[in-house]
Amino acid sequence: MARENVLVDTLVELADNLVDNFDVIDLLNLLCQRCVEALDVDAAGVMLSSPTGELQFIASSSESMRVLELFQIQADEGPCVDCANTGQPVLSESLTAPDERWPRFTPRAIAQGFHSVHSLPMHLRGRTIGALNLFRVEAGVIADEGARMAQGLADVATIAILQHRSALDATTLNAQLSHALNSRIIIEQAKGMVAQTLNYDMDDAFAQLRKFARDHNQGITLVASMVVGREITVNSLVNPAAKGSAS
Amino acid sequence: MLVGLAASRAKALVATERLLEIFGLLARHSHATPARGSLCSVAAEFTEFDGANIALLSGSKQLTALCSSNAASGALFELEITLGEGPTTDACGSDSVVRVAHLGGEEETRWLSYSPLALANGATSVYAFPITVGAVRLGALTLFRWESGDLSEEQESDAYLMASVVARAILDLQAGAPRGSIATQLEREAHFDFTVHQAAGMVAVQGSLNVSDALVALRAHSFASNQGLSELAARVVTRRIRYEARDGVWYEVYRSSE
Repeated sequence: MARENVLVDTLVELADNLVDNFDVIDLLNLLCQRCVEALDVDAAGVMLSSPTGELQFIASSSESMRVLELFQIQADEGPCVDCANTGQPVLSESLTAPDERWPRFTPRAIAQGFHSVHSLPMHLRGRTIGALNLFRVEAGVIADEGARMAQGLADVATIAILQHRSALDATTLNAQLSHALNSRIIIEQAKGMVAQTLNYDMDDAFAQLRKFARDHNQGITLVASMVVGREITVNSLVNPAAKGSAS
Repeated sequence: MLVGLAASRAKALVATERLLEIFGLLARHSHATPARGSLCSVAAEFTEFDGANIALLSGSKQLTALCSSNAASGALFELEITLGEGPTTDACGSDSVVRVAHLGGEEETRWLSYSPLALANGATSVYAFPITVGAVRLGALTLFRWESGDLSEEQESDAYLMASVVARAILDLQAGAPRGSIATQLEREAHFDFTVHQAAGMVAVQGSLNVSDALVALRAHSFASNQGLSELAARVVTRRIRYEARDGVWYEVYRSSE
């Protein structure tokens, strides 16, 4: 690639993923790789909670990680499960130290060669949507800067999922937003017409439009667009009998 | 091999750091008061520009300002709306990045009306990035500088990244809003100014015009009388100026009080 710039590369990756055949799993697998490259860890994985609350294995940087993640879900036991369920970071500095939290998980992790684990929650709008799990061959904690970076990567993973969800309904959301902006513009224009015709201030003009809409069981946007299109006169808003001529 | 690993490690670190920087700035700005316009303030700060404006496209292809990082950027966007040409309009229309390093320079003939006036308003270079998610266009992020200069490669990728975060943030804020309405959270973030549309409604009645012609009349008068569009609109709404139907003339209204 001609350009060296990291961000452009990363964004092109993200953008490419978003356009046609965006695959959230590919993206999260990539993020797991990035964790291993960027942090002092030997394996990384992502688990997500389904809307019904079940945990699902989504991505990992290695096969041994995948096996351990799947085991935790099946056994309903382990640091990643605790983290996803509680929404709090879960840490084990040394898996060989006496610890009764995960009697079935711990020996399996050690057998795969791991001696410490960090699980970081992924939060979206106040809800825990999953966990980013980092396993290390060495015992010990990830140093300060690394821990900050790790939470950053968990945030990136969350954004990636958000992008995925946004990509799914961006069209709808955007159509809705531009429609909302349009209605707002039309309502403001109608307010101006009412304010001018009846010598009202803007609040009273709005109240008049809303009252007419309610009295006639119509949406305010429709009433406003009829006023703006001069399909109904401003005077007829106050006095429905005056419906005849245009203002 | 080792060099490759080190390079990719460095890349991952930089990318993550930049995203972290945006999140950190957003967190800091949203705790500050007033919280409005934090997306624009963060955009300007993060990309190291002097000003930023975010505009949204509505269904009728109209541009509405979501926020500006400062008054000067707001005035520059307004200028663009008054003239109907400029970087934001081009970025939204073409779906590509607009880069003008030297506004009003000899080789710059892109906007005959906008450029000299933007320059007179203090902008010397301007860059506009479309705000998109996949094929969906939301609007544009426009960045201004008061001293001319090229965009560094870091700034360019930072601006892309920022536009991408802005897109996500807008959709996220709008998610869950009732049909036909702008989400409260988005309103809270935005500096929407609909005075121009209220004024257009009033001028439509004053001049027996339809509202789009009334908007045109407002823009023309704003340009001719050298006052900002929202300033003029505010004067219409407070009835200090009105448009006369008979001869199409604007009258200043002098009143001691209302």
